[in-house]
Amino acid sequence: MLVRIGTLIVKELTQFRRDWLLALFILLAPALQLLLLAQAIERGIHEQPLAVLDLDRSRLSRQLVLSLDNTRELRLRFYAGSMDQVRSLLDGGQVRLAVVIPAGFARSPQPIQVIADGTNTVAAAITLSAVSGVVNRLASDLAAGYGLVVPELIDFRTDLRFNPTMNFRDFSIPAQLGFITYQVTLAVASLGLARERELGTLEQLMVTPLRRIELALGKGIPAMAVGALNFAVMWLISLALFRVPMHGSPLLLAALTLLFITAEVHWGLLISAISRTQQQAILFVFIQAMVDIALSGFIVQVRNMPPLLQALSRFVPLQHYLVMIRSIMLKGAGWEELRPQAAALAALSLAAALLALRTVARRVE
Amino acid sequence: MMSLRRTAAMVRKEMLHISRDPRHLFLVTLSPAFLLFLLSYIFSFEVHQLNLAVLDLDRSPLSRRYLASLTADRELRLTHAVDRYEAIFPLLVDGQADGALIIPPGFAEAVQRGQPAQVQAVVDGTDPFAASQALAALSSRSGMFVAGTAGQPVGSKPIEVRSQVWYNAGLESLLSMVPGLLAIVLVMPTLALALALTREKESGTLEGLMVTPISGPEYIAGKLLAYLGTGLISTILASLAAVLWFRVPFRGSFPLYLLLAGIYFLACMGVTVLIGSFVRSQQTAMFAVLLIFIVPSFFLAGLINPVSAESLPSLLSSYALPSTHFVQISRVLFLKGLGLAAVARPALILAGMGLGALAISLCLFRKKVA
Repeated sequence: MLVRIGTLIVKELTQFRRDWLLALFILLAPALQLLLLAQAIERGIHEQPLAVLDLDRSRLSRQLVLSLDNTRELRLRFYAGSMDQVRSLLDGGQVRLAVVIPAGFARSPQPIQVIADGTNTVAAAITLSAVSGVVNRLASDLAAGYGLVVPELIDFRTDLRFNPTMNFRDFSIPAQLGFITYQVTLAVASLGLARERELGTLEQLMVTPLRRIELALGKGIPAMAVGALNFAVMWLISLALFRVPMHGSPLLLAALTLLFITAEVHWGLLISAISRTQQQAILFVFIQAMVDIALSGFIVQVRNMPPLLQALSRFVPLQHYLVMIRSIMLKGAGWEELRPQAAALAALSLAAALLALRTVARRVE
Repeated sequence: MMSLRRTAAMVRKEMLHISRDPRHLFLVTLSPAFLLFLLSYIFSFEVHQLNLAVLDLDRSPLSRRYLASLTADRELRLTHAVDRYEAIFPLLVDGQADGALIIPPGFAEAVQRGQPAQVQAVVDGTDPFAASQALAALSSRSGMFVAGTAGQPVGSKPIEVRSQVWYNAGLESLLSMVPGLLAIVLVMPTLALALALTREKESGTLEGLMVTPISGPEYIAGKLLAYLGTGLISTILASLAAVLWFRVPFRGSFPLYLLLAGIYFLACMGVTVLIGSFVRSQQTAMFAVLLIFIVPSFFLAGLINPVSAESLPSLLSSYALPSTHFVQISRVLFLKGLGLAAVARPALILAGMGLGALAISLCLFRKKVA
């Protein structure tokens, strides 16, 4: 039996070697993708372009403009001369935020007008809160200058755990790692059988002494190897190049990653067994990849989703894996804390494996 | 010479392929609208609720009032009451709580004597967005509580800020996400083209076509026109879903939007034809479309975080992505309602990308056939 599985694995690997472009995409593209995405989502939302229409031109208004420019979130790009110019700057997307300081602002309290571009709500919310922070600080400085001291009744001490510098990279790279591994494994596993069926070679395989469990293993093991290899390379890149902390046990991470890859391979084989053609399998994988990006808590946290989607996300292996990889790498979590996620992953993996075997049996006989 | 008749025959053949297979038909027409439904629901997040664990060592009426005041706007939720400091850590590790608040003994006494009372907040910093939101919410609610308790007028600040949001007055994320997501879901027609191009090679029918009088440019033009056409149909369907179901206003001109969508398809499909001249299997074509168009689009196209202008590599990779330009075009036409002048730059970049890639791939194609 081992010999037969071995020959099937050799056959699969020969296929990769013949299609060098495919091999390139499978082995090199994931690491490149990690480099690209990690570079790009380096810091979060900083240095958004700002326009100021200063109708007061006093010392106080200049002080306000200067402190706006000094925030991390905003950069002063334009001094507008009129409201029309403000409108055209916002229309053209050259600035995301405009601040209008009214005439007489320094002499008597006059409201400042702040206009945000709502086409990107995330950027709008962050820039608006940056402005109100600046204005509040300016106001309390002024109040202190007038001798109005507001007593600090609650002395607020904060303690940031796990990621004290609030580095966005440390947060996103482990997730990218999980996601890219997922993508490659699923794509390789899901096309294996569908390709054989479309090209008519599945029937040839069926007349060999190969049993269906051997067929499944022979198709599954190369996909697992591809996934594991990709993960190892990308993991080393994230530690060496991006200095992502690794607080937990590497052994535990490796074991749980293997469990995750197995689950994805089973799921991929199921897709492969259901689809008649490669195109169907591809359509399946594509829609699933988009749904999984969305449901996995990769971009939107699971608890901010409506209850129905939260329930659905429990059936996404990637969701459980992202919780685990983040907890192990950033929080140093151990087996005790991660048992529920590991159990869920194992159950999903088993269910997919049983369904895949049953489907293969039905399709073949 | 390119013949119109032969190109038309090529388009007809492709249309026949599309209409014969219901799954393929779904892929090229309905799948963008379908994905838009799915993704919009997940990506329209309005209120982030944060879960807090509380360790109240004071247990006074005042401390309870303070805790109640924190949850007034429902941004913060007190989900776990713990009785020991050690109990906080496991809750943070497995993510059941985003942070913890520790009220020391003697909190009420200190406040009543007018002395600063210490409150400690422990916040999970893993997700920097959630952490800074939690810190801001905690300190602003605490400030309001102090102002209320001490009888200080809350409005003692002399500067008033009047903020308004243009183009999306309610700052509703759905209105911003749906037009942006259109750029991503409209990659599906490009996927269909990539598969169609490689299937001819894989199943050997390309050689059959090559012995007919159809020339390389006619072959590519035929495929391109067929999928451009179905792409425009899927654009209409997806836009209808955006306007009728999600109630996103469409303030610009719809014919202009269709024209620009056509240019977007030209860019995506041009690049795909170029890649397709190297790719032999459908499997590789799928990888290419997934890794080049879809996945980076979620992160680099300015869909959620605006395009980062901080470092040159990230700026370049964003601009090289066709979806970056269409996210911008789509938001301008839906929300800002401006004309061609406002989107001339992204439109020209897309057109340049598409025509450039097509020109290169035509050269390559000619060589291979000869």
